[in-house]
Amino acid sequence: MADLLTVTSLGQIFGTMTTVQAVDDVSFTMPKEPSIFNLVGESGSGKTTIARIILGLQKPTAGHVLYNNTDIGSKDKQWQTLFHREVQAVFQNPYSVYNPVYKVDRVLQTPIRKFKLSRSQQESREMIESSLRAVDLRPGDVLGKYPHQLSGGQRQRVMLARIHLIQPRLIIADEAVSMVDAAGRVTFLNVLLDFRERLNISTLYITHDLSTAQYLGGNIIVLYKGRIVEAGLTREVTKNPLHPYARLLIQSIPAPDPNKRWAEKLPLNMAEMSLVQSTNRARCLFAERCPNVMDACWQTRPELRKAPTDNTHEVACHLY
Amino acid sequence: MTQDTPQEAVLAIRSLSVVYVGRRSAAQAVTEVDLEVQNNEILGLVGESGCGKTTLAVAMLGLIEPPGKVIGGAVQIRTHDHSTQDILKVKPSLHRQLLWKEIAYIPQGSMSALNPVKRVREQLTDTLIEHGLKKNEALERARWALQVVSLDAAILERYPHELSGGMVQRVAIAGAISMQPPVLVADEPTTALDVVTQRSILQELVSIREKFGSAILLISHDMGVMAQIADRIAVMYAGRIVEIGSIHQVFASPLHPYTKKLINAIPNARGRESGERLIGLGGESPNIWRHPPGCRFHPRCEFAIERCSQQAPVFTSPNGSSGQRVACHLY
Repeated sequence: MADLLTVTSLGQIFGTMTTVQAVDDVSFTMPKEPSIFNLVGESGSGKTTIARIILGLQKPTAGHVLYNNTDIGSKDKQWQTLFHREVQAVFQNPYSVYNPVYKVDRVLQTPIRKFKLSRSQQESREMIESSLRAVDLRPGDVLGKYPHQLSGGQRQRVMLARIHLIQPRLIIADEAVSMVDAAGRVTFLNVLLDFRERLNISTLYITHDLSTAQYLGGNIIVLYKGRIVEAGLTREVTKNPLHPYARLLIQSIPAPDPNKRWAEKLPLNMAEMSLVQSTNRARCLFAERCPNVMDACWQTRPELRKAPTDNTHEVACHLY
Repeated sequence: MTQDTPQEAVLAIRSLSVVYVGRRSAAQAVTEVDLEVQNNEILGLVGESGCGKTTLAVAMLGLIEPPGKVIGGAVQIRTHDHSTQDILKVKPSLHRQLLWKEIAYIPQGSMSALNPVKRVREQLTDTLIEHGLKKNEALERARWALQVVSLDAAILERYPHELSGGMVQRVAIAGAISMQPPVLVADEPTTALDVVTQRSILQELVSIREKFGSAILLISHDMGVMAQIADRIAVMYAGRIVEIGSIHQVFASPLHPYTKKLINAIPNARGRESGERLIGLGGESPNIWRHPPGCRFHPRCEFAIERCSQQAPVFTSPNGSSGQRVACHLY
């Protein structure tokens, strides 16, 4: 069976005089069956660029993206309409998608009109209310209000209610909960899990916060400076991270237990990307931060290979 | 921190109440908050967004602007020269001196707190010069502060946009400690940072506490952050403190139903591996314009009894003298 989403050798170079390679040879697939796929990385890892390319907002400089076996650059108008209905995005700032002078109701009415989802006013009203309930909102709490009157978590869940109305096949959630506090996060993530289980909607979940990816499960890709450094089942990768960067990420999640505090202070070179950007990419890009760095790391680029531990797990590191 | 040998707090917030004045009514953002921070202590203040944490921070520094208004309470600070001053009552010239010298603020989203057209050098030295240092002394002090937060002095010549998020946050911390104030207020200092940078910034705060014996009020919505570096924790809900205790006590045996929910809502793999789901807080965040009567948490509380909707609970210490206190009718 063909895949829902196939990303092949994606590359994105920005700039002309001085160039930045934001995405470097990234490939992955999401199956037809409803699934969760996590893209994890710090800022500058290329994760948002990948999301923009998949949404068709940006043309990659290399590689291609297939949705249901058709290139997303397809000129077929009918196909594009379908694609824009079946793939829906939730972005980081839940405020910027609302027009502050219109009531919240409008972001829910627009897709109904655009995709002709209902035949009557009455029916659209009922649809909106049931979609709001599906994401754990009381219609009376949000309808008739202006965006600024809702909390960040509520605004983000209204976006999910909009998705519930449209019933897409794939949600691209880019840092969707970074501006929502811890309590609101769980509710949001549970809605994504519900959507997969009850409505067969898949999610490409893009985040810098590994703990939320861990909660969602599914598959994971860890990105570093535009490259995949580790990939596999989320459960496997988070339990047994192989790449030194993935290990650093996992050890840096603040454990909610005062008896499990970080032991040693992180050396500064490990803590931060350095200000000096090296243009030489024929090497491991994590070398300057890596506690296990060897000569080979400066000389050749490690390829993404099957991990020695199990065959669902891949890693790009000279240690293996 | 043990409560057995009461020490004079370097910072004491006494019954602080802050409102936002509207056209017809006033929103109760912070209500009768009492907090004390000792030397060499990190006190965590945790709560959902909108619970009043940032309002409390800004108000206690005497920096709240209309429509915000302090309607009661005091913020006492024990200064370098061992006098006690009320930040909210001192005259403006002394207030300017107290800020930075006695208490400094590390803001949320430091990128916007720094001036984009000024080099790090000016960002750091301007305040120092304002506080009476000569230009070369100020530069020396700025170098020292950068070194404390593990930054190279070369950064002095950089503009904020040339720095990573973590470095910007370090510069903000360097600015805050440059006058060596005994008290620091850090408001969500790691919110927009990735986990690795977050960890290194939090560890930087810990080493500042160790080096200078600073008292740090750390504001965050993240219980994980609290568990990692706070010594004590105060839980805020709808403008009131509902529970306070040592970090170990509160995590091992949370008393307030709200604290329990906060701890149980932390996403990690634990719950999901067994196929379980975490439960969110349920219900909606409180509306500061119309707090419910009695305990403000009662509409979302599964243990609410009749009294909860009638009478605001007062603080009790159900575990004796352990220092853990809770404002809940269940105890």
